[in-house]
Amino acid sequence: MADETGEATLADATTAGPDGAAAVHVRDLTVTFPTPQGSLPAVAGVSLDLARGQITGLVGESGSGKSTLALTLLNAVPDPGKVASGSVVIDDVGDVLALGRSELRRVRGAKIGYVFQASQNSLNPLKPVGKQVLDLGRSHGVRDLRELLHNARLLIDEMGLDAERVLASYQHELSGGMRQRVGIALALVLNAHVLILDEPTTALDMLTQASVLSIIKKVHAERHLTTLIITHDVGIVGDLADRMAVMYAGRIVEEGPSAEVLAHPKHPYTRGLLTAMPRIVGDVSQAQPLQGRVPDLASVPREGCVFRARCPLATDVCVTTAPADTVIDGHRFACHVTAGTAGEAA
Amino acid sequence: MIEGRSLTRTFAARRGMLGRGGVQALRGVDFTIPDRGAVSFIGESGCGKTTLGRILCGFEDFDGGDLIIADQSMAGLKPRQRAPYHRRIQMIHQDPYSALNPTRTIGQILDDPLTLRARQLGADGGWRDQRRSELLGLVGLDPDYVLPRYPHMLSGGMRQRVVVARALTVDPDVLVADEAVSMIDVSLRLGILQLLRNLRDTVGVSLLFITHDVATARYVGLGGQLYVIYRGTVIEQGETDTVIQHPAHPYTQSLLSAIPVLRGIELPGPERVVPTGPLDERSEPPGCLFEPRCPFAEKDCRAGPPELSQLGGTEQRHACLHPAQRSVVAVPAPPQA
Repeated sequence: MADETGEATLADATTAGPDGAAAVHVRDLTVTFPTPQGSLPAVAGVSLDLARGQITGLVGESGSGKSTLALTLLNAVPDPGKVASGSVVIDDVGDVLALGRSELRRVRGAKIGYVFQASQNSLNPLKPVGKQVLDLGRSHGVRDLRELLHNARLLIDEMGLDAERVLASYQHELSGGMRQRVGIALALVLNAHVLILDEPTTALDMLTQASVLSIIKKVHAERHLTTLIITHDVGIVGDLADRMAVMYAGRIVEEGPSAEVLAHPKHPYTRGLLTAMPRIVGDVSQAQPLQGRVPDLASVPREGCVFRARCPLATDVCVTTAPADTVIDGHRFACHVTAGTAGEAA
Repeated sequence: MIEGRSLTRTFAARRGMLGRGGVQALRGVDFTIPDRGAVSFIGESGCGKTTLGRILCGFEDFDGGDLIIADQSMAGLKPRQRAPYHRRIQMIHQDPYSALNPTRTIGQILDDPLTLRARQLGADGGWRDQRRSELLGLVGLDPDYVLPRYPHMLSGGMRQRVVVARALTVDPDVLVADEAVSMIDVSLRLGILQLLRNLRDTVGVSLLFITHDVATARYVGLGGQLYVIYRGTVIEQGETDTVIQHPAHPYTQSLLSAIPVLRGIELPGPERVVPTGPLDERSEPPGCLFEPRCPFAEKDCRAGPPELSQLGGTEQRHACLHPAQRSVVAVPAPPQA
């Protein structure tokens, strides 16, 4: 990877911790799944930093590996997946992938809060929210449960909900938007400083989505969190995230400050996604669909650029050689053609 | 042409601790779907837009008002007599994964309705095979690839195209697309939307597009009519881009304000409207239904339900006593130096 500071910050973070500019460092991460065609990577050599105190958005379609990547941050790759190589170093935790079971249990929740996909449906339907908070505390060995409940109340208040009512409620008594907020509160109640949200607003209405997003913004700022939002919706990332990473076929194909990536996308896939989005602003008939289909694990090309089959700019070199990362002012992308290296490499 | 006149529908609620009396899904909705026209219904979940679509397809009954299909009043007909009229209206479901029988090939899935259709038209088996390929071509699929395959072998986008092709086997007048792309991969969504939009010209169907996503309604329904539905009533209605660019009702304005703004390309509208509270489905305000959540509500808003009108000289019709222009829609950002 072309980020020359990568190795240095990695070393810093392992030893010193809080001095690095990023709170989470993912390095050369490869996660494979066994398939009839052999073991294939769902995440292939991904390096990504989550800048401390910032919101990073990870955009990708289904099957792009974004959820697998996020679960790896918890060292919770679903079976039968395996981390083949790489490291995930988190501030004052160290390499998550090297932790044992009991240490992992301590870290999850206390250091890293995770809001799962469709978490509005992941509350226990048989217990009121308050009891679930207590369960959470007990399973994490929290001594002062009174304090924990107090924290939960503060958090739920922060989310603009009536804490007493919510803690006494069963999940069916809460609306989808309220459940999603409770999910975020549960992820943060043990004072995690890294928050990961997987598709936090799918299945929510426009108005509920807007209010959940503004709450994420608020909690992120007030609690000085390092936040990762995983979504298929470029709009959410464009609205919320300071930095964004675009994932395709297990690779991060473009990454940088959101405003910069959106205004000057360098990877043809990012460009394609943006032109395929109908917008409220401007001439809607200029929207153009992206050609081809989304590859699955087995149909991702083993050589060359993974996007070339759908790429309007593809040339000969894209068939044979995988593009290296180009970094310009913190904006990284992997494309032979837009980097201007197509001729040289050929 | 299809017309809805003061359609109402109330769902009975179970008696018990949680409210009684039932939910009024539709409170008197008027709409027109012209031949080869495009009509969009937008609103939050629970606003009644899906019920409206289901009533059109005959999956659901209405309990007041009337539905006119091809100059025939449905209210005067027995359910059995209605069937051939409802058949002219075909539904494209949200979920292409459960809409196709997993144990049958695409060829078999299309053959059943086409065999019936051939019998109706007095055509032979050759016609059926030809029509099958024709329809698949129309929805952008390669018949040789698709016909022998089972649904699970196709991507979500291809499956949704098969669903569209199947709906077209009966030569419908109207396609009802209810959140038809929400389960499709983002890079493939626009392809399906483009297909639906083009079918108006290629096969001459009208399109009823039901969604909560204003931007897709704008893409598919451009030039057609947009109906904004809130708690079972139409609160704003007009030419699609007029309503989107110059919304008059505070509810429409809040929907438009909720659309994420793309940093670096767009700037948020300066007068974003945010409802003062969440929707309480159990409240039955005497006046405007949006009044309890409306940041601009005044005393007279509580007096009685406002009617759809062009109050304030707007181009579109709206149900607000105090319509005002507010810049809620994002504007393109000036290019960076």
